[in-house]
Amino acid sequence: MPPSQLKRLKASLREQGIVGPQKSKKQKKQNAQNGVNNEKRVQRNVALTGIREQFNPFEVKTSARGPKFDVTSNKTISGRVTKGVKGRPGVTKGLGEENRRKTLLVEMQRRNKVGGILDKRFGENDPSMAPEDKMMERFTQEKLRRHKTSSAFDLEDDEEAGELTHMGQSLSLDGPNIQDDFDDEGLELSDAEDHPSDEERQRKRRRSGDSDDSGSEGSKDEEDRPERKKSKQEVMKELIAKSKMHKYERQAAKDDDEDLREELDKEMPNLHELLRGIAPRPAPAPLAAASGMNPDRAALLSGTDKIKFDKEYDLRLRQMAQDKRSAPTERTKTEDEKMEEEARKLQELEAKRLRRMQGAPESSDEEEEPAAAAEEDEEEDDFGFGSGIKTRPTMAELGIDDEDDFIIDDDLVASGSELEPSDDEDSESENEEDDDEDADFLKGLLTEEEAKRPEFLTGANAPIQETPLPANNGVNGDLAYTFKCPESHEELLDVMKKVDILDFPLAVQRIRALYHPKLKSENKAKLGHFAVSLVDHISYLANQPKQSPFSILETIIRHIHSLAKTYPAEIANAFRRHLEEIHNSRALAPTPGDLVLLTAVGSIFPTSDHFHQVVTPAILTMARYTGQKIPQELSDYAIGAYLSILCLQYQRLSKRYIPELVSFIQNTLCVLAPTKPAKISGNFPYHEPKTNIRIVGGTKATRKLSLSDCISTDRSEAQTEALKIAILDTTVQILDAAADTWTGKPAFAEVFEPTLKTLQHLGTKNNRSKLHADVQAKITKVSQKLERLLKHAHLACRPLELHHHKPLAIKTSIPKFEDSYNPDKHYDPDRERAEASKLKAEHKRERKGAMRELRKDANFIARESLREKKERDAAYEKKYKRLVAEIQGEEGREAKEYEREKEWRKKGKK
Amino acid sequence: MPGTVPKTGHSAKRKRETTEKRPSKRARSESSDDEDAQAEILLLENEIFESNSKKNYNNIAKLIQILNNDGDDADDSFLAAISLCRVFTKLIAAGELERKQGNSEKDAVVMRWLKERYAQYKEGLLGLLGQEGVGVPVLTLCMKLLKTEGQYLLNGQDFNFPVGFLSEIVQILLDPECDTAVREDFSRKWVEEYDDIRYYTFQTIAETLQDDDIQDSREGILGSALDILTAVESVPESKDELEDFHVEAPKKKNHALYSLTQHKKRAQEAWLAVMKLQMNKEQRKTMLGLITDSIAPWFVKPELLMDFLTDSYNAGGSTSLLALSGVFYLIQEKNLDYPSFYKKLYSLLDSGILHSKHRSRFFRLLDTFLASSHLPAVLVASFIKRLSRLTLNAPPGGIVAVVPWIYNLLKKHPTCTFMIHRETRTAEGKKILEEEGMDDPFDMEEEDPMETNAIESSLWEIALLQSHYHPNVATLAKIISEQFTKQSYNMEDFLDLAYGSLLETELGKDVKKAPVVEYEIPKKIFMKQDAESGFEDTLLVKLWEFK
Repeated sequence: MPPSQLKRLKASLREQGIVGPQKSKKQKKQNAQNGVNNEKRVQRNVALTGIREQFNPFEVKTSARGPKFDVTSNKTISGRVTKGVKGRPGVTKGLGEENRRKTLLVEMQRRNKVGGILDKRFGENDPSMAPEDKMMERFTQEKLRRHKTSSAFDLEDDEEAGELTHMGQSLSLDGPNIQDDFDDEGLELSDAEDHPSDEERQRKRRRSGDSDDSGSEGSKDEEDRPERKKSKQEVMKELIAKSKMHKYERQAAKDDDEDLREELDKEMPNLHELLRGIAPRPAPAPLAAASGMNPDRAALLSGTDKIKFDKEYDLRLRQMAQDKRSAPTERTKTEDEKMEEEARKLQELEAKRLRRMQGAPESSDEEEEPAAAAEEDEEEDDFGFGSGIKTRPTMAELGIDDEDDFIIDDDLVASGSELEPSDDEDSESENEEDDDEDADFLKGLLTEEEAKRPEFLTGANAPIQETPLPANNGVNGDLAYTFKCPESHEELLDVMKKVDILDFPLAVQRIRALYHPKLKSENKAKLGHFAVSLVDHISYLANQPKQSPFSILETIIRHIHSLAKTYPAEIANAFRRHLEEIHNSRALAPTPGDLVLLTAVGSIFPTSDHFHQVVTPAILTMARYTGQKIPQELSDYAIGAYLSILCLQYQRLSKRYIPELVSFIQNTLCVLAPTKPAKISGNFPYHEPKTNIRIVGGTKATRKLSLSDCISTDRSEAQTEALKIAILDTTVQILDAAADTWTGKPAFAEVFEPTLKTLQHLGTKNNRSKLHADVQAKITKVSQKLERLLKHAHLACRPLELHHHKPLAIKTSIPKFEDSYNPDKHYDPDRERAEASKLKAEHKRERKGAMRELRKDANFIARESLREKKERDAAYEKKYKRLVAEIQGEEGREAKEYEREKEWRKKGKK
Repeated sequence: MPGTVPKTGHSAKRKRETTEKRPSKRARSESSDDEDAQAEILLLENEIFESNSKKNYNNIAKLIQILNNDGDDADDSFLAAISLCRVFTKLIAAGELERKQGNSEKDAVVMRWLKERYAQYKEGLLGLLGQEGVGVPVLTLCMKLLKTEGQYLLNGQDFNFPVGFLSEIVQILLDPECDTAVREDFSRKWVEEYDDIRYYTFQTIAETLQDDDIQDSREGILGSALDILTAVESVPESKDELEDFHVEAPKKKNHALYSLTQHKKRAQEAWLAVMKLQMNKEQRKTMLGLITDSIAPWFVKPELLMDFLTDSYNAGGSTSLLALSGVFYLIQEKNLDYPSFYKKLYSLLDSGILHSKHRSRFFRLLDTFLASSHLPAVLVASFIKRLSRLTLNAPPGGIVAVVPWIYNLLKKHPTCTFMIHRETRTAEGKKILEEEGMDDPFDMEEEDPMETNAIESSLWEIALLQSHYHPNVATLAKIISEQFTKQSYNMEDFLDLAYGSLLETELGKDVKKAPVVEYEIPKKIFMKQDAESGFEDTLLVKLWEFK
């Protein structure tokens, strides 16, 4: 059993030495003299508070019991006992109270009050700071502020920044005529204007108290200073005089500097010449700048007048600028090098095309194509540039430097020809090219005669002087030189109304020259609209009943192509619009215009790309026709044949498979065959047309199909037969081309075996007799070729081995062990959930804390207001009592007076 | 009460008719004449009950005369029909048409006379029923009378549904010449709504169709019967749902009208009667389309559908496709044993299947049929190989449906993965391959899916489709050669694609980045290349004439 409370108290008091054996009087006296008592008192107080705390059961808070499961807590393992002091409520309470007094109480007192003075003096409310520290702090603050605001080179500012002065004198210790009073004994003598501050005086007084010598000296001081007091006016005067002198001195120093500089400047021209002798560049300019001289002054000094100097300067500057630009880099290359570069460029483009064909995601260095989110968009498009440099002669080999040349050779102005193949991407740069280059460009664009005309030099936007038209111009000799730039198809038709169709390319050429983007900034948009209207125009032209010559269409398409290099998005959108129209209104009945349009798509855009914004819908449109159309008339078959050819042409490089094409070819062959095959070989849906269109025979010659065959009209018997033969002939050739395209594909045999059977059927006796000899020959040739190819395919056929993948690891299901498991921690595998619960817990804790704080605040406020009220009441009570006492006192006096008077009267009466 | 409802309904109708007819048919001067006639009809009607005696009953005869006088004025006869409806409703409600005890001989004569008139009136009404324009309101009148009859003319019984009258109505409606609007109105407003009418209509239809007298016009009747029957969509599921009766409900709780099985039996009879008739392809397809949703649930014995379904299934083509779901229903629900079902199913995979508009429907079913993992791998391989062979001529929509399906099957039947990965391990095998190459072991002509050797083959077709012209199809086809990490593809995502939707998605996207333009501007597009240029003519120029 532990000892009682009292015994323990006594023991601890004794331990601390607070109670102990009594000391003798002598000892006490000695202690008092040594100051030990004081020390002891402090020690005693500390010890007593310690003991008090120790014995107060409410001072510390302990948890009532330890953790519920000892084993689960690693704290016990590490030796720390969890049962123990949890907090010191008294202390925290006191701290909180203190804090509140500082913040809440102040706020409370300031409530409903406006204005007031805030004491922001440094250290003013800090009793812990010694006055010296305070002064020190204030001094540094002041210094810092100065340092920030004033510039070191301000001439007007007299005072040297960052220095503390007194009465216009620096207080710094390293000044020539100022000495620290601590260093020099005789300082008081010399320093007449020194008014020691209060503190200093105090310090001095203390010092004088400390040693008698200094004290006597100080008193001597006072005596030796008769004129110590100067009037304020005098002081100010002196000050002004001093500052003026300083100013003058600085001015003098500056003048000296100037003189020196001028001297140097005079030598400048010599230096100039010296430098120019070595390098022609106007290098001295930076030198002069370096010496800090302004060029005007230099000019003035060297005797040239200002205007002349400016002129010269400008001239030289321009020379310098031009020097840099005209640095000839390409000139130095030999022809061989150029060709090599060209070939390398072509190879690069080919590599890019291949990448896009395979649908590989584009490399990041190509900034022109921002990565898109959609999977297809990531696939990059490419120039459908030949299956290669190997199979085709490169441009360089053909002696063609770049396409610009070849286009100009061809008299097709064209061509986004302002674009060098290299600067496809940075078309911006060329806008800044010089005027003479433009002239060059126009020379290339236009014929000599045209180039002389003023319109083409200034562009259509400048006022045009009338010049007589030359006689031989255009087909009819009356082709205008200037046109309004058509911005829609209607406008185009309007503008071209008077132009002969044969002159159309020339007119387009002139418009392109007139509104060349280099001539005026708006022209860029104008030509864009013009390009779009040209796209509309090709389908319009092809749809006209009177067929316009294909050479014209071709030229227009090539114009569009070259414009497409500048306006890819506009032209692509124009084509897409047309495709959408076909899709919505005549998916299964395309017009000749649509066919021409699809052809144009195939030549303008790279058809080999895995995905292309225009080509993909275009080929889908074509495949849709060949796949879905149930042909009824011969014209339907002709359209199908055209589209099949086009499909194959689209795939000439990428060699992608088109199922619909095979079905269509087979269907056509089966339907046109003079006798129906006994068994339709192949898996295509066979559509027998309503009217019999089987070949009857009797045609003499075969011919090629043309676009006019694609229009359904009434034809004579002979014409119909000729058309049938032509379609059959073309279809067989398409089959031939298709077989060429897809040789080596995995299922070649599966695709072409049925077609071979159909061809063989065409070659049977019954059919042969009705076919033209040429066609027969072709059929035989193609079937032989197919047989050969199939044989080859048979030899090359191997079982598929598609899955040479690395085997996948089996998913592990071993539980995950935590090495240093802590039961107090949460191990949530779901990261998000863990974070959420953490956040929730924090929120809860904060909430609780905030509520507790608020509660305590409310308590505090109530307590404070109660206290205030009590104070007020007490004050009132006091005042009241005072007044009552006063009155009572007065009354009592009066009463006594009265009594006395009464007594006195009584006495008087008596 | 009985008189008011049809009146309002009719007046609305009439208003429309008059506005239609008046300006076109008649001059304005005649309209007053017309109103006179109508006023007269109303007068005649009022007189019948005014005097509270029976002397004005002769007006009924007059009204019937007006009713039957169809050549003159359709409006008048129609008004007369309404008036007569009111008159007879009142009379029947008053019990004038029924033999009462203690009635005098004279009363009996009057009653008999009235009955005759009533029959005459009904005849007249039925004559009007099939006509265009008036048919629908007349039908309403008929049903009104039907209700009144069922309510009051009980002939001493508890419940007497006027079966005769209804069957007359139904027979008129079944007539192919009858206006379709009336038929539609009947099926939608009455048959679908009221359980008793549906019950007796089914009965009548079954009786009528079994009747040999109408042999000749059966084709047409079949169509109209189908019209009525297909309109009935909601099949009652429990007894409690049988509570909407047009005629007052029978009081006995065990009446046939309260029995679900009786209802179903009637429907079943009607449908069976329909199915026994000769029908054309379209009608058969309509019925097959409905069979699982609205026909089979009516059948107490769905086995009875078996003949019809197997016939349809054997018919081939798209009819078979449609019958497939019905057959499947029977197999699933009724344990129908269809011999060589898979063989038949295999034969459905013909050249048209991937082009068919029922493609998605078929694939959903096919997916179900081949869902079992207990099917022999040989069979599954045959299906896979045949479909992949068919994709060689299929539109992108078809290919897109087949490829993920093949993936799912391969995943389910790992034995079949030999079709995409088969290594030749023996040296002899390699040598033979090297020297002789190989043919596709798969026999496309073989009809039995167990004998096609498909499992020995490889899916070269899908490998070919990996270079399909459409980028998305090509990408999809590549899943076959990737690692099979995905559990399965959701077929629904791939079933409903067609050229139209593909084009729309392509064209719907905005051109965000500038498309790449062919680098080289070809010198010639339509024209022949210059001989010395060194460029070859394009295919188009070679094969096509551009003048």
